[in-house]
Amino acid sequence: MKTNATTSSVKASAEPEAEVSASSHSISASEALFVHLISGLGLGLAVLLAHYVFSVNLVSHPSLTLRLIWVIECPIVILLYSRYRKNREDCSYLKAVGRGLLGLPVGALVSALGAIALGTPVGTQYFSKTISWSLMMSLFTIVPAASVFGVSWKDWQRIFAHTKPVGSVDLIICLPAHGAVIGAWFGAWPMPLDWERPWQEWPICVSYGAIAGYLIAMVASSCFILARATLQHVKRD
Amino acid sequence: MQKWWRSRKWEQTRVLWLILFLHVAAILIFTRGFLLTRTELPYYSHCSDLSHSPCFSSSSSSSSSSSSNSSRCWTKPAVDRIVIIVLDALRFDFVAPSAFFGESKPWMDRLKVLQKLASERGSSARIFKAIADPPTTSLQRLKGLTTGGLPTFVDVGNSFGAPAIVEDNFIHQLVQNGKRVVMMGDDTWTQLFPNHFKKSYPYPSFNVKDLHTVDNGCIEHLLPTLYEEDWDVLIAHFLGVDHAGHIFGVDSSPMIEKLEQYNDILEKVIEVLQNQSGPGDLHDNTILLVMGDHGQTLNGDHGGGSPEEVETSIFAMNFKKPPLSIPLEFDSLSCEQDLDRRKMCISSIQQLDFAVTLSALIGVPFPFGSIGRVDANLYALGAGTLDLEGTDIENCENQSKLEQWMQNYVNVLCINSWQVKRYIDVYSASSVIGFSHEDMLQIADIYAQAEENWSHSTKRLLLQKNECSDSLLPALKMQIDLFVNFQTSVAELARSKWTEFNLNMMGIGFGIMLVSLLIHFFSIKRVTRQHGASVTSCEDSGISFGLIVACFVVVIRASSFLSNSYILEEGKVASFLLATTGIVKLRYSVMKKRMLLEAVVFLLLTTFCRFTIEVGLSKQAATSQFLNVYPSWMMSIASGIPALVYAAEVVPLLVLIFLAYLLYKTISSSIFEGVWKYVIMGAILSYMLIAVHWASESSMWSLALVSYGIGRNCIPQIVYAIGFGQLLLLAYGQVFNKDKCLDCKKNLIIRTVGMLSTWSPVVILLSGKQGPLVALASIIAGYCIIRLDNIEQDGTSDVLAVDPLPVTQWNLLAVCLFFCTGHWCAFDGLRYGAAFIGFDEFILVRQAIFLTIDTFGFSHFLPIFGLPFLVAHQYMSSKKQFILMRLSQVYMIYGLITAATVMVTMLCVTIHRRHLMVWGLFAPKFVFDVVGLILTDVLICLASLFSFGQVEDDVPQNESTEK
Repeated sequence: MKTNATTSSVKASAEPEAEVSASSHSISASEALFVHLISGLGLGLAVLLAHYVFSVNLVSHPSLTLRLIWVIECPIVILLYSRYRKNREDCSYLKAVGRGLLGLPVGALVSALGAIALGTPVGTQYFSKTISWSLMMSLFTIVPAASVFGVSWKDWQRIFAHTKPVGSVDLIICLPAHGAVIGAWFGAWPMPLDWERPWQEWPICVSYGAIAGYLIAMVASSCFILARATLQHVKRD
Repeated sequence: MQKWWRSRKWEQTRVLWLILFLHVAAILIFTRGFLLTRTELPYYSHCSDLSHSPCFSSSSSSSSSSSSNSSRCWTKPAVDRIVIIVLDALRFDFVAPSAFFGESKPWMDRLKVLQKLASERGSSARIFKAIADPPTTSLQRLKGLTTGGLPTFVDVGNSFGAPAIVEDNFIHQLVQNGKRVVMMGDDTWTQLFPNHFKKSYPYPSFNVKDLHTVDNGCIEHLLPTLYEEDWDVLIAHFLGVDHAGHIFGVDSSPMIEKLEQYNDILEKVIEVLQNQSGPGDLHDNTILLVMGDHGQTLNGDHGGGSPEEVETSIFAMNFKKPPLSIPLEFDSLSCEQDLDRRKMCISSIQQLDFAVTLSALIGVPFPFGSIGRVDANLYALGAGTLDLEGTDIENCENQSKLEQWMQNYVNVLCINSWQVKRYIDVYSASSVIGFSHEDMLQIADIYAQAEENWSHSTKRLLLQKNECSDSLLPALKMQIDLFVNFQTSVAELARSKWTEFNLNMMGIGFGIMLVSLLIHFFSIKRVTRQHGASVTSCEDSGISFGLIVACFVVVIRASSFLSNSYILEEGKVASFLLATTGIVKLRYSVMKKRMLLEAVVFLLLTTFCRFTIEVGLSKQAATSQFLNVYPSWMMSIASGIPALVYAAEVVPLLVLIFLAYLLYKTISSSIFEGVWKYVIMGAILSYMLIAVHWASESSMWSLALVSYGIGRNCIPQIVYAIGFGQLLLLAYGQVFNKDKCLDCKKNLIIRTVGMLSTWSPVVILLSGKQGPLVALASIIAGYCIIRLDNIEQDGTSDVLAVDPLPVTQWNLLAVCLFFCTGHWCAFDGLRYGAAFIGFDEFILVRQAIFLTIDTFGFSHFLPIFGLPFLVAHQYMSSKKQFILMRLSQVYMIYGLITAATVMVTMLCVTIHRRHLMVWGLFAPKFVFDVVGLILTDVLICLASLFSFGQVEDDVPQNESTEK
């Protein structure tokens, strides 16, 4: 009851200013769906490329495959999301791209540290795998936010701590990021089982979990955006 | 006045006592169904005992040659020497020809020499399918083989740490009766029989990766020993197959190489024995047994009760020439054509029967606790050559060999039945949990029937056997059937008692546990409601995010116990969840923009925890032997790099001094007065003493001041004494010291610090040099949890419901600490060394207490006594009832989390009771959890008595002011 009350109060206080900021960089539903579609296709392309051109997959060559994924996904994510940067007046497209590029290693560092705290194996043989994995996680989570928000702490807090996306841009950043993290968390659970399958190794099943979570969350966010669009449509009528 | 307070205090903790009682009841009932126990009896069989049996008279009177009679004890010796070659984890299909199985596998037909002999010389060499009883671990099986009993998971009367068999057994009987036993191979034998062997060549069995040391040692001594005269029984225990199975599995080339190696060795052994088997030679009356102690699965695991694990094999061969044809009608045989189109028969034998059959063959009294039956086929193989009473031939020409043999066998069975009946009677009379009355009556009935038949008809027939009669053979057969019937029912009863789970008991225990959990839950609710009404008008806060996360974490952790993999990696799972809660808290602190530092430090600490747990787990892979070499995990890392060795010596000392400094800072702040100040000063002194103790022990400093001999035992003893003194002081402070401190929150803190400083020196001392580091880490982690708990509260409103998330974190931290300090849920994870810090001699109770404190010190004692901090640091308001309510809530939530986890463990062992790893993994985990739960309950009761006492002190005052 009490938490509900505080939530609503926060919402109420956040709404007016959010409305202002959201309206400035809210995007149409079709555009949001397009972003998700391209990101998803990029992911698919990377996996297909790995499979058919390099004839590797996540299980046989995790490090190489993950590298392929992040190399292909990196320009897609940064270029796409930079288009929806906040404060277009003060921030050029190139600056947003730069922020995204800067966010990539920082996000990777954060994901790697988090993974190590949770129990990622540490050792020379895992070094390149961990780096590739955390770069991929960074692209799923931190980089879009870095491109869009830059150093606006308030926005970061809203997305990652409060999880209160306002507007479609927030949605397409917030939901996939959370989906990827939660998916990765669940993906870690089969690791200790004694099935002795090659995919139980770090970071294969965690990557599967992250990718699955990311895709599901993208679908969910698309649904949200569509629902929201129809609702607004109805309201306007 | 005082009485009134006391009663109030007890009333407060009444629910806790009730829960403790319920838990104890549930666990006792469940354990009676699950952990089968058996009492070891300290009685031994003697030659002279036979005069009490109904059988002796017959054999003495029927024997006309007194010279042979003098050498006999219970049975007439049929063989002079026995060679027992034990091949560990010998699957039945390693020995039996592949024709017995549907298809031929690579590991079959490798021991060709045995198959060849069994098919060529069916009368003197035979392959048996030996059925073992679970638990199929080597130790339990060797015990079962030698005692003829059914060792259970917990044999009451087991000596602490040392596994030596104290029950009557075959080896003991051999030694008692002047037989000389030589042993080579697996050193488990020398652990089980420390003083029995005339000569022994033990080799360490703990290193599973080593396929050859034990085997090569055996081979080196086996053949030369065969030429020697100075032994009667030779035991050679090869381990290669077991180890190859554990590492590579059955279907692997090392396994096949091992089997082929054994084939060569056995060929040589049989050649030697055969060459020496002429009349008057060394081995003219020798029986060779090649046997397994248990089987293994295709993955090389054993311990459970699956057919692959319990089916092993015995190959028996008698070298006396010429072999007699012997009756084969007592047991169901299975015969197949082998590869060379020769017919080969394999009979089945229970491992239970092994000890008594061998005793009968070599002529020693049967082990007192044996419930086996002299196996007709194996006995026939040895005793078929028995030179039965030389008088028979002249008296009765037409009496067949078979009849003679059966006369002998029926007498052996008579002795056997009498011995089993004696054991069963004595066992039910003296054991705590004996057999049920109806079962005993039924057994007695069957025995009476057999015995009556024996003494009234058969004995008479036997005595009159000089006059040949046709009625003898059917009468003997009937008598044998009667005895066999008796023994089968005894074995059945014993199996149901000692190897079968009692599902009803387990169900009842689980049900009680469930009820206690519900009571627990509702009493938490009740406390909230009661005090909620009296303190403030605060509506139920509903389901908070913290509650959801806490429930989620507890449920996930509990359900992880359903798989053995997660139990193996429990420490990692706990630290994973702890880090997850840490991340959730970090998210909170980002949200509130407060205490970011604490959240990050907490995450760093979980990372530290995680690495130490991994070191501990890697140690788990090796066995206890490893522990003796490296007393703590720090040394194991550090060995090799000099700088690290130095650091490993110095850092604990520095941390210890830092801890002492922290305590010093605490007492220098003014709130500590009187008794409490002395308690904490005692702790500081203890810390200093421990530092000196370790410094004097280390090789780096040669402290001239403290001579080694004094320092080693003296200082720990002083530390224990100080700890005891502190406890007394605390008790004194509790009962007599009524310092009316107005601020009851401060009072609570003082008491908690006092309690912790009483326990911590002893715990740190026992856990070795890792102790101070872990202690410091847990202090910091605890501090972070407490601080982070305050994030959501703004300090103005008194929220009633305790947020369960910090308590869950506290619990997870405790679990992590258990694994951090190098423990794991297995009996070889106990650090026996800790029990002997400060004392050299062994006293069961004292050493058991130390072992408990070492095992549960960091994971139960300190966290539970530290729980009041969670309450004390939290609130600006220090209303007495309010704090009291919070405190009991926190205690109850902590207890609930532990109880819920244990309940799932119980469920899981019930589900997995037929699992492969039930004795290796689930049962130890169950025992540790259960002990931990009871300890948690007791400690919570004591701690709440202790902390409530103080709050109560102020209650009357408070109420009077209210009035």
